[in-house]
Amino acid sequence: MKSKVLYTLITMVVVALVLSACGGNAPASVNEPTAAQGSEATQAPVEEAVTLRMWTHSNSAFNAGYEKLISAYEAEHTNVDIQLETFDYELYLQTLQTAMPAGEEADILQLFGTWTSQYYERLAPLPESVMSLADAQSTFYAAPIGGFEVNGTLYGLPQEFNCEYGGVLVNKTLFEKAGLAFPPQWKTMDDVLADAKKLVEVDSSGMMTVAGFHFTAADPASFSFLAGIKQRGGDYWNADQTGFTFNTPEAKAQLQWMVDAVQMGVVDPVVFNDSTNFVIDAFFQGTVGIGYIGTWAIAEGQANFPDFQDEWDYIYLPPIQGDPVFVADSGWGLTVSPNSQHQDVAWDFVKFVTTDPANATLFNIDSGTIPAIPVVAKSSEIASTMPWVAKALDTLPYGQYLGNMPDRDLVVYEIIYPHLLNAMQGVETVDEALQAIDTEANSTFE
Amino acid sequence: MRPSLSFCKNLLAERWRHGMLRIFRKREKRSGGGLAAAKGRFVLSVTIPLLLYESLGIFVLAWAFILMFYNYSSGRLGGPILGLGGSNPFVGIQNFIQMIKGTSVQANLFRTSLKNTLIFAFAVLPLNLVITLPLAYLLESIGERFKVLYRTIYFMPVLTSSVGVALIWMSMYDPQGGWINAIIRFFGGQPVAWLSDPRAGFLGISVAMWAVILAYLWQDYGYNMVIFIAALQAIPQGLKDAALIDGATPWKVFTKITIQLIRPTLLFVCVMTMLSSFQVFDIIQVMTNGDPGNRTQVLMLDIYKNAFRYQRLGWAAAESFVLFLIVMVVTLIQMRLLRTEWEY
Repeated sequence: MKSKVLYTLITMVVVALVLSACGGNAPASVNEPTAAQGSEATQAPVEEAVTLRMWTHSNSAFNAGYEKLISAYEAEHTNVDIQLETFDYELYLQTLQTAMPAGEEADILQLFGTWTSQYYERLAPLPESVMSLADAQSTFYAAPIGGFEVNGTLYGLPQEFNCEYGGVLVNKTLFEKAGLAFPPQWKTMDDVLADAKKLVEVDSSGMMTVAGFHFTAADPASFSFLAGIKQRGGDYWNADQTGFTFNTPEAKAQLQWMVDAVQMGVVDPVVFNDSTNFVIDAFFQGTVGIGYIGTWAIAEGQANFPDFQDEWDYIYLPPIQGDPVFVADSGWGLTVSPNSQHQDVAWDFVKFVTTDPANATLFNIDSGTIPAIPVVAKSSEIASTMPWVAKALDTLPYGQYLGNMPDRDLVVYEIIYPHLLNAMQGVETVDEALQAIDTEANSTFE
Repeated sequence: MRPSLSFCKNLLAERWRHGMLRIFRKREKRSGGGLAAAKGRFVLSVTIPLLLYESLGIFVLAWAFILMFYNYSSGRLGGPILGLGGSNPFVGIQNFIQMIKGTSVQANLFRTSLKNTLIFAFAVLPLNLVITLPLAYLLESIGERFKVLYRTIYFMPVLTSSVGVALIWMSMYDPQGGWINAIIRFFGGQPVAWLSDPRAGFLGISVAMWAVILAYLWQDYGYNMVIFIAALQAIPQGLKDAALIDGATPWKVFTKITIQLIRPTLLFVCVMTMLSSFQVFDIIQVMTNGDPGNRTQVLMLDIYKNAFRYQRLGWAAAESFVLFLIVMVVTLIQMRLLRTEWEY
């Protein structure tokens, strides 16, 4: 009798466990913006007490901005309490991946725009009443908003223009030491290479100790490669964006230019690359004359190397040819969970943070990011606080969205960059590298 | 007649005893039985949490087993049951076929990672044994005071976090400021980019892989050494003395008696070292993250990247299963080769 009771209890426990594991998977509403959702979003936020959770990746500069904006929103909406929870970058990815299938994610999720195409099935579509696609496209730069759009539907709004193309840190002290004019007046990329060659320093054993032009880290190499293809009149997408075309004359010309620059001696890609002497670390330790990196590196470099004494500036490179056409990721922005009980309030907060020029300005200044909204980017406040943004104003309108790749990180970091580096390090020929990139990148569609 | 004082005391004691007995019985009744019932309750209270825990473990294993037959990504919604099906389609054994003859980037990376893992594991095991066994033998022969001191020194890296060890070795390997290159320069040699040069190699293995192996060995050898010391201490001195009296050389004593008698320990050390080498992750992730040109990309790192960076959980589960099979086969072979059918 007792054993029967025991077995019954055990069975109940196991069944309960399996049932609980099977449940809670599907979001409350997915991908289909319903009338109810739309109408909810048009209503003013309800006066009942609302608590929202917000998840972001840990970045002190970003979070300082978020905290101010949350306080401002809560002051305007006294019934709303937004709890900010932050995660280390790697942990954030893992948390999203485990929480989303369980339906346990926060109401508001910070998301890198380019990831949207991978997560959109688990995100709430942006209600038309909050902002239409056409309005969003006219409000934001093309590159930042591009990533949040999947199949004609918006799933979030951007907060930054993630521009990895064209911007370089330049070390005035090293320029003067090499007898070069500062600030440099480069008209062509040949001018850049000529200066870079003079900045190089090599020790007695032949090892490069100062790189003239460090463009061999993952993002600079990959994004300058893609921009070079575009500027030379080519494209890495096929006509209907269902496949890649990396083995083209334009791609070959661009990669050959990169290999030639290395052979000219402006950088040793074995000693200066993404894992050894990364641009920020090397530049802010005085071992790089011209360091190719996005503006986001400035805040990080200043925070990590407060004792760096050299004078420096951030300027933009000339295009390889023609207009400075380039491609960019859709940077960090905010999305809403379809499992949120208060999607209307969550979207109201997202709109408050991302589209209000004053709030967007506050966030971009605090986070040191390039604004996603042209009006904000051109503001005097941004120009006085982040002068490098003003220098980019002529270039930013040429930015195109990278495109919804099957897996952006896989394509850029495991396919494009390793083969570019192989070619620059002399491990592969230009033709071998391009062939490999083309084959492997297209295999990601399978 | 008034009762005597002792009578009153006895009466009170008897009543107290009865009262207490009543209380105990009441409590026993309330709690539902005697010792057997208490035992039953104890068994239940222990069994249910254990079962819950085990069920979770089984569920996780079962989930991983199921996933390897799907093209599953946690970012996709999939079907109604656990997200399987729909946009996370069932692919049968396609993941395994891909691993063998696929041309996709993940298939290429898997094969590269598998090759690197085998290189790592089969380089680490003999090198570890070559270092730890003689060192343990040496330490066993010195005075007790020094033995403790050296054992502590050699064991310290084992207690150090892998990340710390990786950072220390990274600074030593630094191509420009590291002291290894400083020594090479001092003697007029050509410095090496230890962790970032894909062209540099030795015995067909990249220098970066050797550099990582060296750091791993440094961290790990104290563990095996302590185990060997314990095994060596357990060998009866009489056996060695008898051999020496019979004219055996110290080398013969070492090979014919010591090695033979520590075979069970040798088996344990080989199995454990092989297991940890196949599962190496943290030190490589910090030192190279698989670079240069995937020359240090090992299976655990590839599994991690696929699962948590590229969200290919189905593929990562299939890779984990392959790793499990390899480890199991290698362990069985080791057990077969090193088993003993005697005790002393």
